[in-house]
Amino acid sequence: MAPRKLPKTDVLIIGGGWTGLTAAYELTHAGQRCVVLERGKKRHTATSFGAPEEHDELKYAHRYSHMMDVKKETLTIRNNRDQQALPMRRLGSFLPGSGLGGAGIHWNGQIWRPLPSDLQMRSHYEDRYGKDFIGPELSVQDWGVTYEELEPHLDFFERICGAAGFAGNLGGEARAGGNVFEGPRSADYPNPPMRQPISNTLFGEAAARMGLNPFPMPSANVTKAYENPYGAQLHPCTYCGFCERFGCGYYAKADPIICVYDQIKDHENFEIRFDAQVLRIEKSEDGKTATGAIYLDANGEEVFQPADTICMNAYALWNVHLMLVSGLGKPYDPETRTGVVGRNYSYQTVAGVDAFFDKSVETDPYMGAGALGVVIDDYNGDNFDHSDLGFVGGGYIACKQYHGRPIGYQPVPEGTPKWGAEWKQAVRENYNHHADLVVHGSSVSTPENYLDLDPTWTDSFGRPLLRMTFDFPENDRKMSDYVMQRAMDVAREMDNVTSVSGTNNAAVDKHYDIVPYQTTHNVGGAVIGTDPETSVVNRYGQMWDHHNVFVFGACLFPQNLGYNPTGPLMGLAYWTLEHMKRDYLPNPAPLMDA
Amino acid sequence: MAKLYSRRAILAQIALGAGVAGAGLPVSHAFAAQDDRPWSFFTDAEAQWIAAVADVFIPQDDFPSASQAGVVDFIDFQMATAYGAGEGLYLDPPFPSGAVPEQGYQLKFTPAQLLRQGIEQAGQLGDIATMDATARADHVEQMSERDDIVGTLIAELWKLTKQGYFADPIYLGNHDYAGWRMVGFPGAHAYYTERVDADKRSVTPPPRGIAHDRGGTPYPPRAIGGGSD
Repeated sequence: MAPRKLPKTDVLIIGGGWTGLTAAYELTHAGQRCVVLERGKKRHTATSFGAPEEHDELKYAHRYSHMMDVKKETLTIRNNRDQQALPMRRLGSFLPGSGLGGAGIHWNGQIWRPLPSDLQMRSHYEDRYGKDFIGPELSVQDWGVTYEELEPHLDFFERICGAAGFAGNLGGEARAGGNVFEGPRSADYPNPPMRQPISNTLFGEAAARMGLNPFPMPSANVTKAYENPYGAQLHPCTYCGFCERFGCGYYAKADPIICVYDQIKDHENFEIRFDAQVLRIEKSEDGKTATGAIYLDANGEEVFQPADTICMNAYALWNVHLMLVSGLGKPYDPETRTGVVGRNYSYQTVAGVDAFFDKSVETDPYMGAGALGVVIDDYNGDNFDHSDLGFVGGGYIACKQYHGRPIGYQPVPEGTPKWGAEWKQAVRENYNHHADLVVHGSSVSTPENYLDLDPTWTDSFGRPLLRMTFDFPENDRKMSDYVMQRAMDVAREMDNVTSVSGTNNAAVDKHYDIVPYQTTHNVGGAVIGTDPETSVVNRYGQMWDHHNVFVFGACLFPQNLGYNPTGPLMGLAYWTLEHMKRDYLPNPAPLMDA
Repeated sequence: MAKLYSRRAILAQIALGAGVAGAGLPVSHAFAAQDDRPWSFFTDAEAQWIAAVADVFIPQDDFPSASQAGVVDFIDFQMATAYGAGEGLYLDPPFPSGAVPEQGYQLKFTPAQLLRQGIEQAGQLGDIATMDATARADHVEQMSERDDIVGTLIAELWKLTKQGYFADPIYLGNHDYAGWRMVGFPGAHAYYTERVDADKRSVTPPPRGIAHDRGGTPYPPRAIGGGSD
């Protein structure tokens, strides 16, 4: 049966998270009639995330009640092409969201900017270290857009979130106490930094004694009563310790519902449909443009929504999946290393360091917030000399106090038995005397890490599952070990620390594992660039092959930087929207020559 | 701390103590019959087996064992509700062999099926009810190393035991906030703006769960014969 066809809209937006709702806000105000299709439920910060019900560790942190349902959509996973990929049958390594606000509801609120050199990764390293420094097995490339171009948009998103921090580079002037490695800021953060607990403070003091440059982690956990440029009201953080994996009913963590949706939902040009699962995007007969999308509505009926312009605003992985099942762009083939959709999938290389204090330091770990940390950036990006290190990239080292929720937070020193009386005693003795350090490292792209369609398993809508082929590249194993050793050096320098241990997800003897949580920072697969042979979209986020399709989110990253992705991807979103409004909508055509 | 526990649980402990004193006889099941609340999912024998394993994971010290804190009640409730029925678990076939651990869970069973069938299989490897504490610990260790449904079962039970010991008492475990008191976690009502960077640490408030109940759930753990010794 042919899908029921609806009247045409100007802009169809697929996904109601940070980028989708922002696209709706900006394009609606540019006179476009926007329809947003959200696969999940309607929910609201005021009514869906209130404490104390929201402070249910089992339900939200371990039963994943805010996350996507793998029964409906999942992917298959393998470490290399010699293995058979098997379904990710349960969530684990990463936790994409579902429902209004998407993963922007359960994020931590760590709001970063890329380093200027991150956006020109290949040319930067080649200029500084020589043409051959990046090995042939890395497909690292420039983004095609510069820090100077993104800066106003990164700044604007920080204002949307009421970001809390301390500028380390204000208009080119370095300021002690901020991140002295960051690119120049046009303005300081809109709110002062967060209050730091004792563990983070001792980390910062140790780092400073070692000549490193500690600073408060930039945070979208808001520190003062604040009104954002769209008119949204945010409240100060309570440090409740229920941030990542939870929504914030205190209105203290910037999220897409309170910061954007509430400010656009009543506009006459705006419409959002929930339980609207997009199945595929349809193309015109000549294949040069997309004509709209077919989705299942809340009643399970297939509906065709035609549109002049389509914005793809799903989570990174599902944007790529939707391109593959719709035949948008040329799929990547690792045999011939041609094609682009699915190419340059990368992740985040995360290691952890546990430092245990003597009994005189009581950390009260339950007083936490998602972006409550003290950070050093001395080993991130190319902030340190890579000449003799044999790798590219780096990561920040943060001492953080996210939470002390006791199912998930059971730090014990190395050598503790895995269960039993000694384990129990160790949990009891160390819960309140532990510092939690993370090495949040970059992830280079390679020709062998990619996304395509699985030949065996299907989702509940009958479409082939996405297939992920990924393992940590040798480059990142070296990088992660090096930066983890530096983190352990700082941990040992911290006052009152009695033991230090490290755990590296990308250790030499380990393969990427889909089970333990690492980060929800899946990036790449539909990357941005200036060459259609190596990118899906041009530098404005417009598909090379279908000029009326614009792509948003972390799927655009050609490789992953050492920072959390929300800040950079929202900078790109505002950059794309500016060019859509100014250049594309008045004259719908390719914005760059292929 | 033991004074905080329900009369039933204390009676059960006394009974078990007597059983152990009885020259290494199998631990008795005497008090299970006195608890007239039926299990939602488990048989009595399954509940005893789960209690024995969970108490190897978290034995009694100044703070209660897993089963004393209601972990078996918690797992029973989980198995009888959405999690046990496979919520959040993609179970589409096929289920080929040759999976590597990095690919995660690849059995065709819901958690409830895994527990039922796993316990049945585990029963063929030894009778945990007749073992003393040391033998039980060794037995659980050996089961955990198996590359079959029993090994998967033990991993699942360890996860569920920690959840039951530390989750909000509305889920029937963490009775009298045993787990939260042990580590000093104040619970669901959380406002620390004025404390987070204070020089001097104030006293951690007593735990309050989502139900804002001083003592945790009023629903005491079922008495389980054959549990911890």
